[in-house]
Amino acid sequence: MNTNLKISNVTKIYPGCIANDNVSLEFNSGKIYALLGENGAGKSTLVKILSGVIIPDEGKIHLNENNLQLNSPLDAKKNDIGMVFQHFNLFETLSVFENLIIDSDEQRESLREKIDSIMKKYNFSIDLDIPVLNLSAGQKQKVEIIRCLIRSPKVLIMDEPTSVLTEQETSELFLSLKKFSEEGILIIYITHKLKEVMQLCDEVAVMRRGKLVSVSQIKNENLESLANKMVGQRLKTIKKKKANISSDQLIKITNLNFISEDPFETNLNDINFSVNKGECLGIAGISGNGQSELFQVLSGEILSDKNSIEFNKNYIGDLNPQERREYMVAFSPEDRLEQAAIPQMKIFENVALNNFKSSNFFNNGLINEKKIREHSKKIISDFNVNTDNIDLKSQFLSGGNLQKLIMGRELITSPDLLICFNPTWGLDVGAINYIHETLIKINENNKSIILISTDTDELLKLSDKISVINKGKLSKIMNADEVTSEKLGVLMGGGEID
Amino acid sequence: MRLPLRNLECLWGEEKLIKIVKRDQPSRAIFFLTPILAIFLTLVAGGLIFYILGFKPFEALKFFFIVPIADNYGLSELLLKATPLCLIAIGLSFCFKSNNWNIGAEGQLTFGAIVSGGVALLFYDQEGFYILPIVILAGAIGGMLYASIPAILKTYFNTNEILVSLMLVYVSKLILDYLVVGPWSNPEGFNFPETRQFSDSARLPLLFEGLRIHAGIYLALAAVVISWFIFYKTFLGFQMKVSGFSLKTAKYAGYKGKKMIILVFLISGACAGLAGVGEITGPIGQLHREVSPDYGFTAIIVAFLGRLHPVGIIFASLVVAITYLGAETAQIFMQIPKYTGQVFQGMILFFLLASDYLLFFKFKFIGSKK
Repeated sequence: MNTNLKISNVTKIYPGCIANDNVSLEFNSGKIYALLGENGAGKSTLVKILSGVIIPDEGKIHLNENNLQLNSPLDAKKNDIGMVFQHFNLFETLSVFENLIIDSDEQRESLREKIDSIMKKYNFSIDLDIPVLNLSAGQKQKVEIIRCLIRSPKVLIMDEPTSVLTEQETSELFLSLKKFSEEGILIIYITHKLKEVMQLCDEVAVMRRGKLVSVSQIKNENLESLANKMVGQRLKTIKKKKANISSDQLIKITNLNFISEDPFETNLNDINFSVNKGECLGIAGISGNGQSELFQVLSGEILSDKNSIEFNKNYIGDLNPQERREYMVAFSPEDRLEQAAIPQMKIFENVALNNFKSSNFFNNGLINEKKIREHSKKIISDFNVNTDNIDLKSQFLSGGNLQKLIMGRELITSPDLLICFNPTWGLDVGAINYIHETLIKINENNKSIILISTDTDELLKLSDKISVINKGKLSKIMNADEVTSEKLGVLMGGGEID
Repeated sequence: MRLPLRNLECLWGEEKLIKIVKRDQPSRAIFFLTPILAIFLTLVAGGLIFYILGFKPFEALKFFFIVPIADNYGLSELLLKATPLCLIAIGLSFCFKSNNWNIGAEGQLTFGAIVSGGVALLFYDQEGFYILPIVILAGAIGGMLYASIPAILKTYFNTNEILVSLMLVYVSKLILDYLVVGPWSNPEGFNFPETRQFSDSARLPLLFEGLRIHAGIYLALAAVVISWFIFYKTFLGFQMKVSGFSLKTAKYAGYKGKKMIILVFLISGACAGLAGVGEITGPIGQLHREVSPDYGFTAIIVAFLGRLHPVGIIFASLVVAITYLGAETAQIFMQIPKYTGQVFQGMILFFLLASDYLLFFKFKFIGSKK
């Protein structure tokens, strides 16, 4: 039985961004398809449209010649389209079996038999009666896959499935996927990891900035050709000159702890490190391991013990962000749209968020709009923000331009230390290059950076020293030239090296 | 933002004539037009209700909205009702702009009335120019004290200000009830639940002979001007704006969130307290059980109808004040219960919230496919 899935002219527009621009694709069962693209290329939007989570503005989807009207995830399920998301949708405290039957209206008994036979067929071994929280990431993913298989899907979509898996689990997953494909299930595999595409897939569709760039046979491609298609331009390689780092200590963190009352936050456990002048300390890790909490503690959004943070011989652990800025520390948080800037406010108003006493934005409690405007114009020209209208609402800036504005706002006073968290997340290559060059320049001017990032390549490129955060604990601090991405991978997964 | 219902997109069968499209950004013009649309829809719906009740819709609406303000007395009554609404709504806009949901203005008004009334009673047999300022100040302080309770509980104990401020309304009303029945009741009052009359020195001066409109309106106008200045010209106003959009950003910018929460509650409480003073030292002249016909609650509608903008609030308070007057006229001339006024207030808020949909979505006429 052949399955044919056809996407015709699908368009989805968000304010300020075209997520999918007239995308047409055709898939046939028996093959494994890769959907490749950078963060923000539009591949997640496309699969969310296929799984009924997002309704497209225009375009049609046909499954075996039938026009599908997918208004909800339930519609997708009814039409035999199964989807395994990057983030699992499982109830941690319920048992595996309860999780599997939760959205099914079949009889418990018959379902149990069905699940058993599926597990036997594909060599899955999972205890159905233990709570999901006791499972490893790979096992949880299998539960998600079984949940799709129960409905005997014609199409199975996997969204970045290996980001949480170990090597071993990844190869197991690939075996299963190949088996499903042989049995006639159409597999669409979404990723930005090129090696996996070469290893697993038969055909590859590349997306860039919402547009479909190419569809080709894997056998006609290699790693480099795919990379260039994905990125769209030859990457200018930025090389950081080995700077002469001084031995003057700028910031020292001692026995820093943070215990959260919120069960969804990560506790920080005995953090110790120091950064010298002109140095960039990179902090790597899989997201959700305490990076956001560490950033907040460093920025002063979460206060800590006064003596735990020593900056230029001042103890600043109990100061709020505004007070810390007076010591010439700058912050660039991860979330551009919800934290670092307010999209509904104008550019010059967003500039006023970073308010030093010496900048005189507010005199005696009154707004000094003239001063703020002058300052904003300077930021826009010095940091290449692509507009000359400081009355523009920030929501109309692209991600890259907004990040340049934020970086500019933080850097124009030439602070001694910049603490940034995923500064290039979701940006296009040009903007990433610009931000990276800016960060390198900071170090060249003998100023320091703490770079918290989930992008290992970025860390290896920019850092002088690297540490890994895992479950709220920092690994030992290593010199960047001794570190490889393999070593970081082990540490990020909670392993030990020598 | 929620996605619109898919089936709404197709209003006339298969051939779509109208499509509902999300706006790129909330429309500024629509932002100020929807209140007018809401008032219009309220009139239509109100007319329909009157029709169903067996009245001639236009005549009934005329009794409700035109007859009450057709003469000087009516206009004076309109301003009399609009004054406390405007004053309280201005105060509330400080809270609402910064994401603090104080819905207990009625309680703050009552408590302000109690404190200022208590002070006025101390001077009941004295005259002097200094009495009125003291009484007014006492009312503002009373309102601030009462508003500080939900503010402090919110900042230091993480309680929900909506619940606390609402519950405190009933507490303040019971305190007032106890005072006017018990310790403060008029010794010569034949056990009526009311206090002595205040002395003339504790009364707000009347603006015109024979009309009830009093000097309290200056307090309201001053509040409008001061609030406009604070919102648009000061660091405090900027902080409120930022906090209103995103508390995360306010924290990142290093604004002292707790101080600001307490401050906006105090401002809001002071305004409500002043409204209470205006009532008891203006038209009422003593304390009794009913110092306010729910001005504190109705002002929430006024604040939103006025889009939390000082000038908008002036207009909104006039519109909503008519519903109070209209309800009374309608009761007298048409024997409709005066609670119809609340029905109209409810409808205004309902239609305003409903038409806010237009802020985020627009109708697009795409014509027949044929």
